Amino acid sequence: MGGFSTDLYLMALLILLFGVFAGSLGAMLGLGGGVLMIIFLLLALDLPAHQAVALSLIAVIASSSMAGSVYIKDKMTNLRLAMVLEAFTVTGAVAGAYLAIGMPVWVIQALLGCVLFYTSITMFRERKVDSADSETMPREGAGGRGSVLDGSFYDEQSSATVSYGVKNLKLGSVTSFIAGAVSGMVGIGGGVIKVPVMNLVMKIPIKAAAATSNFMVGVTAAASAVIYFESGLVDLKLAAPTIMGIMIGAYIGTRLLAKSRSAVVRKVLAVVLSFFGAVLILKAGGILAW
Amino acid sequence: MVTVEELISWVLRIGVLSGVAITALGFFLSADLAWAGVLILILTPFMRVLMAGAYFLARKEYPFFFLAAYVIMMLVIGSFLRIN
Repeated sequence: MGGFSTDLYLMALLILLFGVFAGSLGAMLGLGGGVLMIIFLLLALDLPAHQAVALSLIAVIASSSMAGSVYIKDKMTNLRLAMVLEAFTVTGAVAGAYLAIGMPVWVIQALLGCVLFYTSITMFRERKVDSADSETMPREGAGGRGSVLDGSFYDEQSSATVSYGVKNLKLGSVTSFIAGAVSGMVGIGGGVIKVPVMNLVMKIPIKAAAATSNFMVGVTAAASAVIYFESGLVDLKLAAPTIMGIMIGAYIGTRLLAKSRSAVVRKVLAVVLSFFGAVLILKAGGILAW
Repeated sequence: MVTVEELISWVLRIGVLSGVAITALGFFLSADLAWAGVLILILTPFMRVLMAGAYFLARKEYPFFFLAAYVIMMLVIGSFLRIN
């Protein structure tokens, strides 16, 4: 950034406005907002890849901490499970961020392209996660008996306490490591990788999975962000509009949440994400200049 | 009486809001201030791990305490991994 110029103000304003958009859409659809933010910073503003990733991670920290302050009071976060998986995901995040800073830009673009396709697929497949999902599971752990990782929470929708056991911890741990590494490399929170695995493979009810993942996402993003930060890759001028935009957006989004959980919005966004996934992969291959 | 959850909730809120406010002030005033704001924001999720660690230690759940300590150690390692 060349000092204090009109360009800077314009760019800051654009980031602020897009942050509001990304934050509110993210909160409505259960995305952290990082996926949308990174596309915008990389493709619309044409920021250098590592700077875009760094700013996106900062946005992820802000939105997940804000959401976390609400989740934790609802006691849906499984703190012990979070600690176990966090050990894997934070290791992945530090390794991922460290490797990514030395990587050529095309690798990051290609990887992000793949992540966008994956996100798009999960968005198409996602079932409605309302009351139907909060079935009460028998309280059993990995070995069929009670485990310290088992959890329970009070579900307001069904006015019942939901207890659950944790299955496939090994696969969950490997997934958490990979999610952390991807997060550190492309600047997303990684919830989009963790939540489906926690829900479908580890058999954790979706609300507990989302709350537990939220806790991990913030720590994961912070662990990789600190490497970018110490390496001077966080643009200190653009950090302010990034954080403010995403937070204002998340505030609006959580209030719109009840009104519009539209399947149409979800599908449109899924198509948009796979479009940008294709753009990024073509860009990585040098086929498209954009 | 304040519960642990409420305390953590407030720490997260104060961390994020002060981080945002200081970063925003830094946008107009100085890069050093923005730097401090971003640092506060980055450290906020770790405050939560720190508090979880203290909770497990108090309850003598040592395996989980060591996991929390490991996560914090990775942050410290990360802060030494700067690349120019």
